[in-house]
Amino acid sequence: MKYYLTLGFVLLVITVISSGILAYINSFTQPIINENQRIAKEKARMEVMPDAVSFDSLGSFNDETIFTAVDESGNIIGYTFMASLYGYSSHVKTMVGVTTDLKLNRIKIIEQKETPGLGANCVKPEFQELFIEKYEHELLVDKDGGKITSLTGATITTRTIANSIRNGINYLDQLISFQTDTEVLNPDAEVENDSN
Amino acid sequence: MTLIKEFTKGFIKENPVFVMALGLCPTLAVTTSVQNAIGMGLAATFVLVCSNLIISLIKNFIPNKIRIPCYIVVIASFVTIVDMVMEAYVPSLHKNLGLFIPLIVVNCIILGRAEAFAGKNNLIRSFLDGLGMGLGFTLALIIIGGIREILGVGQFFGYNVFPATYKPILAAILAPGAFLIMGVLMGLLNLMKKR
Repeated sequence: MKYYLTLGFVLLVITVISSGILAYINSFTQPIINENQRIAKEKARMEVMPDAVSFDSLGSFNDETIFTAVDESGNIIGYTFMASLYGYSSHVKTMVGVTTDLKLNRIKIIEQKETPGLGANCVKPEFQELFIEKYEHELLVDKDGGKITSLTGATITTRTIANSIRNGINYLDQLISFQTDTEVLNPDAEVENDSN
Repeated sequence: MTLIKEFTKGFIKENPVFVMALGLCPTLAVTTSVQNAIGMGLAATFVLVCSNLIISLIKNFIPNKIRIPCYIVVIASFVTIVDMVMEAYVPSLHKNLGLFIPLIVVNCIILGRAEAFAGKNNLIRSFLDGLGMGLGFTLALIIIGGIREILGVGQFFGYNVFPATYKPILAAILAPGAFLIMGVLMGLLNLMKKR
């Protein structure tokens, strides 16, 4: 009996020491990691909307903020959002920039853990350039009748990215038309309030 | 065995992949290009050296019955440390290697060397063994990765080696190609040894 208690005790000591070390390292790496990710997202926004000088938040999609991109003279030139869906073996997150008529400006894959050599090739610039200046209805893999040539051996990854961006554009479309609707309706709403 | 032999045995004579057939899962999974092979090889080498050192140090305190769980805790801790430190300080490298780092925990070369070597030998020998085995593993990955990248993509280390008319053998970069190429290489090595 005593022997088994000793065994358990040794195991306890080892796990406590290693979790202590891990907790200590995590305590100072986690803030740096979060900061890195924030900077990476900011950079990605600038990359997908290179003409924009500032970004204002508009709403949220996939737990990430949707931004309107504003140029030097203060005009809205487009929107950015984070598209995300589960691909072949991981969530693929893509920063998407669209112009005001919902045409794709540029995309940048931020995060993916797809199969190395196959799906992971989606980070290559040649692939991401396929999406430039496409409209929502063209965002289908070539096998499904769209204009996106799928990656060799990784149709699922390609389809995921195209679908996630289509979802995002559809959501953005609703969001924008809802906001314009409410702006138009606002005066009426005020009138109703007054009469009450 | 002399110290120098302890270091070099991992290269060919006891190569973890081709001779001991250990760590085949990561070998087959990541050898689609030379760059991936080098990344996985070096990250595994680092963890192997560190875990060999620690296990050699604490081997006298660990009761025989629970040595395997202890080894696994040590290895998993190092893998997590590598993952966190790399993500914080070299995010660009982590972006390329991040996929492979969790795979190192299940790499049986590391547990194999802990059990077969570091648990029985002193610090210096364990260090040399870990370094040699790790580099031998890296070498094997580079050879397989190189062949698969040349055949399957027509490139080596990202540079084109064939004229544009070359049509890549897609199978080489998919899973069956990994098995075929590794089998052929193992066979060739055995043939060389017999002569």
